Amino acid sequence: MSTPSPLPFSIGYGTNGFTDHPLPDVLELLHELGYGAVALTLGHPHLDPYAPDLDARLGSLRSRLDELDLRVVIETGTRFLLNRKEKHRPALVDEEAAARVDFLLRAVDIAAALNAECVSFFSGILPPGASPESGWQRLETRVAEVLRHAAGKGVLLAIEPEPGMFVETVADALALRTRLGNPDGLGLTVDIGHCVVVEPDGVRGALLEAGPLLANVQLDDMRSAAHEHLPFGEGEVDVSLALATLAELNYRGVAAVELPRHSFDAPNLAARSMAVLQAAWREVQAGKAAEQWLQEGKARLAADPGALPGLFATAGRSVGRTPLRPDADPTGVLHGSVGDHVRGQLVRHLLDLMPPQELAETVLSLYDRGDSSERRGVLRGLGALAEAQPDLPAPVVAAGVQITADALRTNETGLVAAAAGPFAAAYLDQHNWRHAVLKLVFMGVSLTAVTDLQDRADDELARMAADFAAEREAAGRTVPDDVHLLLNRAATNLP
Amino acid sequence: MRIFDPHIHMTSRTTDDYAALYASGVRALVEPAFWLGQPRTNVGSFIDYFDSLLGWERFRASQFGIRHHATIALNPKEANDPRCVPVLEEIPRYLAKEGVVAVGEIGFDSMTPAEDKAFIRQLELAAEFSLPALVHTPHREKLLGTRRTLDIIRDSPLAPSMVVVDHLNETNAGIVKDAGAWMGFSIYPDTKMDEKRLVAILHEYGTEKALVNSAADWGKSDPLKTASTAKAMLAGGFSESDVDRVLWQNPVDFYGQSGQLILDPIPGFDEAESGGAAATFEGNSLLRGARA
Repeated sequence: MSTPSPLPFSIGYGTNGFTDHPLPDVLELLHELGYGAVALTLGHPHLDPYAPDLDARLGSLRSRLDELDLRVVIETGTRFLLNRKEKHRPALVDEEAAARVDFLLRAVDIAAALNAECVSFFSGILPPGASPESGWQRLETRVAEVLRHAAGKGVLLAIEPEPGMFVETVADALALRTRLGNPDGLGLTVDIGHCVVVEPDGVRGALLEAGPLLANVQLDDMRSAAHEHLPFGEGEVDVSLALATLAELNYRGVAAVELPRHSFDAPNLAARSMAVLQAAWREVQAGKAAEQWLQEGKARLAADPGALPGLFATAGRSVGRTPLRPDADPTGVLHGSVGDHVRGQLVRHLLDLMPPQELAETVLSLYDRGDSSERRGVLRGLGALAEAQPDLPAPVVAAGVQITADALRTNETGLVAAAAGPFAAAYLDQHNWRHAVLKLVFMGVSLTAVTDLQDRADDELARMAADFAAEREAAGRTVPDDVHLLLNRAATNLP
Repeated sequence: MRIFDPHIHMTSRTTDDYAALYASGVRALVEPAFWLGQPRTNVGSFIDYFDSLLGWERFRASQFGIRHHATIALNPKEANDPRCVPVLEEIPRYLAKEGVVAVGEIGFDSMTPAEDKAFIRQLELAAEFSLPALVHTPHREKLLGTRRTLDIIRDSPLAPSMVVVDHLNETNAGIVKDAGAWMGFSIYPDTKMDEKRLVAILHEYGTEKALVNSAADWGKSDPLKTASTAKAMLAGGFSESDVDRVLWQNPVDFYGQSGQLILDPIPGFDEAESGGAAATFEGNSLLRGARA
């Protein structure tokens, strides 16, 4: 397997998620955890933009960032910096916004001193009674002023759409940019969590829409119902898809974890977030390698049908052998490995290449002459065929049933699990199907491996499960949880 | 201490042996295809055996946290039976399989013309598939057999650095080293080689290109001879790093030439369960299985 390439952009962490640590500690912790960037929020508690000795502080901060090899972006979302009672006021869309503009000018100076990637800012909430047109005009005038200053300092600005604010979506941010005459100095910040709340085309759509204008990225999870920044795994964001899209866009900037309400657990969350992002990136790489292998395999088969056995045998070397869905199935028994998956997809492709009789002979030969991983690939391929076409040709069904029966005779958990998928659900007779389910329970494999369990389970299977449970209980052994699932299901089906 | 046994016939061993191997530090091994004690009478018998090495046996090892690899070949003894020789036509497809790390065991048993032919052909196959070769040396006529083995290797398309010549002792280790091949030592109770003699040989010939294996099979043998050799090496003046070199790094370097070693940890393997009921680690509940 080829060595996975490193992330093409820098992973950072927002200091607003570390408000219980002094800044030097934050930087050291992030460096230790493998972060390559920091998103520095100006204001309390880390860097007071109005401190009398600001220049000296910026000088020492810059050298510390150099020592730790950290890139930096400037964030301006301090809640009570400019108004001790109302958060984020005054905003750029307020009638009176001098303090906000002055702060942003200062942020630009700080970014220049720190050689930061950009200054990220937002529009704010349009005050009650103000018309949208007045909102646009206020934004245009004020952003134009900050842009002029930033251009002089060589600093890039990045406007961040925020749920509930005047500029709420990437489309809004692009509209503002158009009104300003598409200045080079204005890019976009996209928060991937926000995307599931407000973006019509989700994370991928929003990132693609921002495209080359993407200057800054924030990473977090979120539920579509609420603008609340959550640790990865607690919301609806597809992190792998976000990273894949950023790589596809050739994004080279900073993508920083944004968890402003989780300072109480910051070191732990920073570690966990990095682990999740690295795992997601590995998943992206594996997916890319798999897709590439499949395309190359199809091309080779088109040129030389005799290449099939060789291709099939070496798939794992090309795409890896890691579990296909490592979170739900860390052993790869239930859903197979990446290698199993691409082999299955290649078998699925054979349906378009050859007549039924030849397909039947080919899958039999691949199975008979395959090692266990190739055999799992054939079984996954039979599942893919069953899903691709509701009524498979008779010779293919006959070959598939023969292969499935062989796999179900083995005691290899991965083979038995792969044999209990969509093909078995569609074509295996009820007696053998029941035995397949019971065998999985017996082997201690989760019944998530079984396709259409609820549709095909019947009273006879419940009886078999009950007898099995009785035998285990008589022996003083534990009864696997899944037996109860089969029993419960039967109970609910009673007349 | 991590151990890689480069030659052990696990098909002939029990699950208790697997558990004991894991406990002794063995995390990877190579099972060479060989004679089964009872002579085979047809090609199909080889096919089922090869499939078992790449299927069931690999699965069995994985249940105990051990990475199992295989070498595939027509062995010297059965190269003399015309009913078995046609298996040579089936061998190429196995050499392309994942985890097949060498052609072997090949070499001599009685030094017949039929053995010559199978040996030479399989060295060619190894070169063709860019695989190392594991060469067995005969129990009878060991020194003469080793000389002829080295002559044949010299005339073959396979570089000596791609060959391990196995079951060596004091009389033939030197000529194998001089030929540029790897030296294999099988540590057996009573017979081929023991730990003390091996330590003396390592002092004489060095740890470079030396492989130590248990060659445990269905005969009187001990799968834990790699671990006991490691202890004997430490007692005999070698350092921890020498032990790691001989019992891990050397086999990794030798078989690594195949590009087929799989040494990443077995997914989901739980050390605590290695001694017990094996096939339960997939998670036996729907709830556990569905955990995201």
